[in-house]
Amino acid sequence: MILANVLHRPVRTTIAILAVAIEVTMVLIVVGLTSGMRNETAKRVEGIGADVLVQAPGASMFLGLGSAPMPVKIGDEIAEFPHVQAVTPVLIQPSSTGSINLVWGIDLPSWNRVTQGFVYLSGGPFTGPYDLLVDDWNAKANHTKVGDTVKLLNHDFHLVGIVEHGKGARLFIPLATAQDLSASQNHATVFWVKCTDPGYTEDVLKSIRHWLPTYQVLSVREYYTMMTSNNLPALNAFIAALVGVAVAIGFLVILLSMYTTITERTREIGILKSLGASKGYIIMAILREAGLLCAVGIAVGCVGTLGARKVLLASFPTLSVDLTVDWALRAATLALVGTLIGAFYPALRAAQLDPVDALAYE
Amino acid sequence: MEPIIQTENLRKIYRVGRVDVQALRGVDLTVQVGEFIAIVGPSGCGKSTLLHILGGLTGPTTGKVLVDGNDFLKMTDSDRTRFRRHKIGFVFQRFNLLPTLSARDNIALAQAIQGNGFNPHRFDSVVRTLGIQEKLGAKPFALSGGEQQRVAIARAVICEPKILLADEPTGNLDTENSQLVLNMLRALNRSFRQTILMITHNPEAAAVADRIVRMRDGRIILE
Repeated sequence: MILANVLHRPVRTTIAILAVAIEVTMVLIVVGLTSGMRNETAKRVEGIGADVLVQAPGASMFLGLGSAPMPVKIGDEIAEFPHVQAVTPVLIQPSSTGSINLVWGIDLPSWNRVTQGFVYLSGGPFTGPYDLLVDDWNAKANHTKVGDTVKLLNHDFHLVGIVEHGKGARLFIPLATAQDLSASQNHATVFWVKCTDPGYTEDVLKSIRHWLPTYQVLSVREYYTMMTSNNLPALNAFIAALVGVAVAIGFLVILLSMYTTITERTREIGILKSLGASKGYIIMAILREAGLLCAVGIAVGCVGTLGARKVLLASFPTLSVDLTVDWALRAATLALVGTLIGAFYPALRAAQLDPVDALAYE
Repeated sequence: MEPIIQTENLRKIYRVGRVDVQALRGVDLTVQVGEFIAIVGPSGCGKSTLLHILGGLTGPTTGKVLVDGNDFLKMTDSDRTRFRRHKIGFVFQRFNLLPTLSARDNIALAQAIQGNGFNPHRFDSVVRTLGIQEKLGAKPFALSGGEQQRVAIARAVICEPKILLADEPTGNLDTENSQLVLNMLRALNRSFRQTILMITHNPEAAAVADRIVRMRDGRIILE
């Protein structure tokens, strides 16, 4: 009976399934994008190879989102601390020319000491002030090659090298140029500190924190853990809001769908009652029908998510979308709970129909 | 022998807006096990209301209603639903088959709701008696009126109810199909001592019954 009812109204069934599918896809893509981008950023920070990072007081943990530059000489002082092998300053500038990017101004000699240097897939290091290095993902996304001119920070840069991805950013320019363009001469957004041995990280952290008590001094491991944890308050609120909207869409469409279903089937409900169907039987019949729609919607949503991910990555190769079984199960559970709650009120109304009135319904 | 149905001074008042409508105004009726009774009377005389009360679809307002020893005045809605599931079969003028289900599934649905599982022996016996073996796969829209009503009768009797309540079962049928359905009801009554109460406007249909009860203005005026 459940399957027959579902197949009887194909348009309504399709709409209900699509609503659940969109709900599931929206949840998985939003969570996948945020966690994917966050994890990918964390991995790139880890890929720098530094042990400690130092930011100005009040700086955002999302590098480059808060300017708060520090004098470069702070890095010079830190370089003199015990167990510090190298320090490299980076000035991060957001560029909205073309698309929004974070451009890292780096001092190549100290950068190479901290990071062991770039792996050049083509071209080579900076030779002039308006030279640009990009990573391979950025080059692929923008179809650029060595020798191209790229507009950044309202200036034309000469692309001199394509490097392997995974070291901090995707776009690199000389530190001095970044400082000139942002009027932040002799300043940096972050210092990356390399210890003589990772075992000295705690000692170095203590020394820097003692010297700069108000500054944000973190080990890269701490930073990675923070970025990949599920406890980022603002991000969690953002995810919760979007998940809430998605669940509300599914809930309302199922509610409307099942409500119109029971209105249309009032007479049939009367027939079931004349056969002795209890209120529980009728409620369960409607919840099972909604559950079937939801199950198909979840399956369609999971397939749709894989398709949406493929389209997103093809259109924006620098994006990362992390799809996990854990969140697929959560999305399915949310969809199912929303569906059952949405179907419960119509089911209850159906169960409470007077059988004589229902049988007389035209 | 105890009557299977006994009503005394049965009254039913409906409230329509702010107006009380007296559908039944003191009905006294006794039906013995195995009787085939036709209830006749003009529209609005309370025939259907009486049938609905005897089938537990609605409760009485006052009076005594004993059906198979159960006092409907003391039963809750859930009790009457349970009673109806096991002891009452309904046949309606408009057949009332579920349009999305095949004839087989419409009949089997009654067994599913009763909860005793599918009984293939009983199923075969009923569909053979009603001559609908060849129509089991068809959905209601593909069946003639007579075939639909036979499927509805099969659904009503598949769970071996103690009482079969038929509300103008030939009202939507031509003469030939009407006769066929009446013959089926008569056969069920004679073969299985099935107690049947049938509402009808058709004197020829009423003549098939053992006894004719006439109603007017919510009362029985002649038995």
